[in-house]
Amino acid sequence: MELDAIIEDYLLGKLNAQEMEAFEKLRLSDATVDHKVVSHKFFLASMDTFAEQLRLKEQLNHIHSEIDVEGLAATLRPHPSRVVQLWRKHKSAIAVAASFVVLSLVSIYSIQHSTQQAERYRQLSNRVNNAIKTQNSLIRNIKHSSATADKPNSQNSFGGTGFAISTNGYILTNLHIINGADSLYVQNSKGESFKVKSVYTDPQNDIAILKISDKHFSNLSSIPYTIKRNTSNIGEIVYTLGYPKDDAVLGEGYVSSKNGFVGDTTQYQVAISVNPGNSGGPVLDNNGNLVGIISGKPDQTEGAAFAIKSKYILEAMRAIPQDSLGTNKLSANKKSLLSGLKRTKQIEKIQDYVFMIKAY
Amino acid sequence: MNNSLKGSVPTDREVILGILNNSEDILNKLYKAYYAMVLQFILNNNGDEDDAKDVYQEGIIILYNKIKTGNFELSSKLKTYIYSVCRRIWLKKLSLNSKKTGSITDYEDVFAVEEDVENHEEKDASFMKMQSALNHLGEPCKTIIQDFYIHNLSMQDICEKFGYTNADNAKTQKYKCLQRLKKIFFQP
Repeated sequence: MELDAIIEDYLLGKLNAQEMEAFEKLRLSDATVDHKVVSHKFFLASMDTFAEQLRLKEQLNHIHSEIDVEGLAATLRPHPSRVVQLWRKHKSAIAVAASFVVLSLVSIYSIQHSTQQAERYRQLSNRVNNAIKTQNSLIRNIKHSSATADKPNSQNSFGGTGFAISTNGYILTNLHIINGADSLYVQNSKGESFKVKSVYTDPQNDIAILKISDKHFSNLSSIPYTIKRNTSNIGEIVYTLGYPKDDAVLGEGYVSSKNGFVGDTTQYQVAISVNPGNSGGPVLDNNGNLVGIISGKPDQTEGAAFAIKSKYILEAMRAIPQDSLGTNKLSANKKSLLSGLKRTKQIEKIQDYVFMIKAY
Repeated sequence: MNNSLKGSVPTDREVILGILNNSEDILNKLYKAYYAMVLQFILNNNGDEDDAKDVYQEGIIILYNKIKTGNFELSSKLKTYIYSVCRRIWLKKLSLNSKKTGSITDYEDVFAVEEDVENHEEKDASFMKMQSALNHLGEPCKTIIQDFYIHNLSMQDICEKFGYTNADNAKTQKYKCLQRLKKIFFQP
């Protein structure tokens, strides 16, 4: 009994130094005492943990008593209805599924929406196409500051370019230049004007053939250029001579597309800066072959023009009586006189065959 | 009630620091934060409110002890830890009672906590041993021992409480009780 009390006091550190020393001696000398100390130590430790756990449990019980278990249980209990049970069980899965459905609905909606937009865009671009379709006919709006005596008394006239297709005065140009004109004149590089009349029009290809009916007109020497039968390749260097102003202007570039406006197969697209007045001008390649006729340019693109392909020139020429064109007409068979010449020489040779068209 | 339960969920870090500092407030918050989760799990897996209470408190005690040992490493959210521990405890209880454990309805992620639960079971066994020893002790010994060792009353207080004439008498009584308790406790 006494021993137990002393052991406990020893373990709890309640002994004073003297007693402590005495007890430790006793503990060393007596194995039974030592065993008792060890077992009591273990017991006390067990008691400590027990006490601690007990206190914790009390604490938890106290907290637990604050919770409305009934109420919670009522909401969390397995619900009689299977639907609610399923909902609780698969809450997250359902949430995922729902968000997926929402997402797909949104994307479907947006896809539909964007296709609508695309359609509208197409319509819009169609409209743009229409706008371009009213491509600038390269007609020059010549403003006469004063009407001269030898010219008709008109304030406004339209101008373009044309070129000779025969030595006896047949000139080919764009139909849109002369369309609706009362009277037509051509002016050569020397400034001489001749009255012409329209002998053939091809509205589909925008081609017109004029015939000089002036008695002052003397036949030209043989046509230096020939018609190119094959279609030109992209990149082929071409040039045109035209009358955007009162003097002939050279424009040089290359064939930039085998088709013209919106895939128009009757035309090329050429990279030549053209201006109103260039319409009807011949497009020639380096060898002096006639590749096409300048007929217009796209509204939106700078530095590009459309040229009617040369084979339609041939078609147009076939449409008029062959005899009237005379023997020295433009043909595809002869060798071009311009072949191998420098550009300046070529221009020199062809400028007599390129006319300014004036439509009043 | 429900809202206030969810409204004051302490962060995991707060819980760990709070328990290390013996904060009752944090323990309170922790307990209330995840009780509903465990209650739902037990209720939907063949248990009732009392089962839920036992299991949940055991789970909290496991967490508490683990944090107290100081080597608690948070490898998941506390919520997941508590859920996994409670789930493990409940599964064990179910299989002990040979109730069906075939399809467990889960509400949260689960990760392996077998080791922690088994460690706790050893501790719990020693706890139960002490408890039953105390119960076998009978009055007034049980109360004297509890007052002295658990409620940390002084011998003087115990002397007054039980009406002993002097503290020495109380002390003698206590040692008698202690002797008997130890005998029961150390019984194989």
